[in-house]
Amino acid sequence: MLLAACHSGHKTKQPKKIAVIVSTLNNPWFVFLAQTAAAEAKKRGYETKIFDSQNNTALESDNFENALASGYSAILFNPTDANGSVVSVTRAKAAGVPVFCMDREINSTTEATAQILSDSYSGCVEMGKYFVKTMHKKGNYVEILGIVADNNTWSRSKGFHSVVDDYPGLKMVAQQSADFDRNKGLEVLESILQAHPDIDAVFCGNDAMAMGAYQALAAAGKANQVKVFGFDGAEDVIGYIKDGKISATAMQFPKVIAKTAAKYADEYLKGKRDFPQKVPVAVELVTAKNVDDYVAYGKKN
Amino acid sequence: MRKSIKYILWVAVILVVAYSSVYFKKLSDVKAAAAKGFDAAAYANNYFYKQLPPAIAEAPDVDKLIAMIKTDTSAAFKSYGHALAIGTTRYFLVQGKGTIVNIDDNGVWVSTPAGNTVLLGTEYVYGNALRDASGLVDINKFSNTMDLNNISGAVDKIVRTKILPGIKPQLKKGGIILFSGAAGLNQAHLQLDGMEITPVSIKIIR
Repeated sequence: MLLAACHSGHKTKQPKKIAVIVSTLNNPWFVFLAQTAAAEAKKRGYETKIFDSQNNTALESDNFENALASGYSAILFNPTDANGSVVSVTRAKAAGVPVFCMDREINSTTEATAQILSDSYSGCVEMGKYFVKTMHKKGNYVEILGIVADNNTWSRSKGFHSVVDDYPGLKMVAQQSADFDRNKGLEVLESILQAHPDIDAVFCGNDAMAMGAYQALAAAGKANQVKVFGFDGAEDVIGYIKDGKISATAMQFPKVIAKTAAKYADEYLKGKRDFPQKVPVAVELVTAKNVDDYVAYGKKN
Repeated sequence: MRKSIKYILWVAVILVVAYSSVYFKKLSDVKAAAAKGFDAAAYANNYFYKQLPPAIAEAPDVDKLIAMIKTDTSAAFKSYGHALAIGTTRYFLVQGKGTIVNIDDNGVWVSTPAGNTVLLGTEYVYGNALRDASGLVDINKFSNTMDLNNISGAVDKIVRTKILPGIKPQLKKGGIILFSGAAGLNQAHLQLDGMEITPVSIKIIR
């Protein structure tokens, strides 16, 4: 009995555990997201562990299995695939473990407890307005898309086109995916430039591809004639905007996303149940005019 | 004989039940109904013409709002600002009066009685200002973010296609106007000079 009492006393002292399951730790943006989420959960008194899914849905499924078997009370989740990740979230829900999606959404509105997402569409509406103004409503442009299966790719593209398509003087001569990858962005634009050497601008679905696109333009001697627009707020692009090499980016706030997810998980574990399913986090346009107010992944304090 | 009548009755009953249990629809109709989903245009119409006018009537004068923001930014943002997204940008409903001092590619620049200069953004009516500023759109009622995006798009389209075409050609430098609309301000990067207002109404009084 004494042993049992000791055991039970020991058990109650154990902090609850929150798992952070992230799509990849091979990209600094997601490393920052995962580490901030884990730090915020730890600050709130939880034991935390980061699981890397390496952009692999099968590995992500294993991570969920491990987290559930290891007694984690909540999962802060950055999915690898809007459709393919749903089944893992469903499994956690069935086990009574709440899941809070961060930055990337899943194609279900009933399985996750809440989804905290960058408002990519609205960010790209602002980007579209700036694009039209900067281009003086005319010119040929290229769009480089992210991963085609990722909802963020299309939210960004649709937001941008919701403005730009109203201006017939702006003609999209090519649209191709480069999977959010810098090297692919370089290769894709090099290839497009062969067929369309007379472009005036490139809109990229993220900053890594914008950096690749800029490299392709620099190699072709066109960096001064062609404007490049990105999305993310990555450190190198902030520097390139200051140097006048890239025209604009849309700043996401991974710190806000991660902290909100950890806060929601804490509130859930303390009894709260009414969470909005989709929680947008504002994205801000960064140009040469306001770039000094920003640092990578956020605002200057 | 009685047995065959019994069979016929049973067959008739089975046929009636089977007929009532199964119905056919064109696949194209089913797909169209599924794709229809949320009607953003209808929502926007109701919002713009029925919900927004009483909220605008209660909105602060633009000079009063700017003065309040200068005096106590946090209180002004808390009292009058709204936004669906988490962040430092909030949207404000405003109304006011002023003299047109310039018209350019961005819109109509107006000088107000207190000497503030605001931009009525008549050229690029896009974004969430009109959707968010009233605080009337409840995020908890929407599980699909694209529905919220489509509300913004549909409300902005009303302004671009129904409100502005009639009034824009009549706006001239020196003219005095009454206006209402929504302004977006970022509390972390406050820019009050040239504050952009997405118009809801513009009325020429001289």
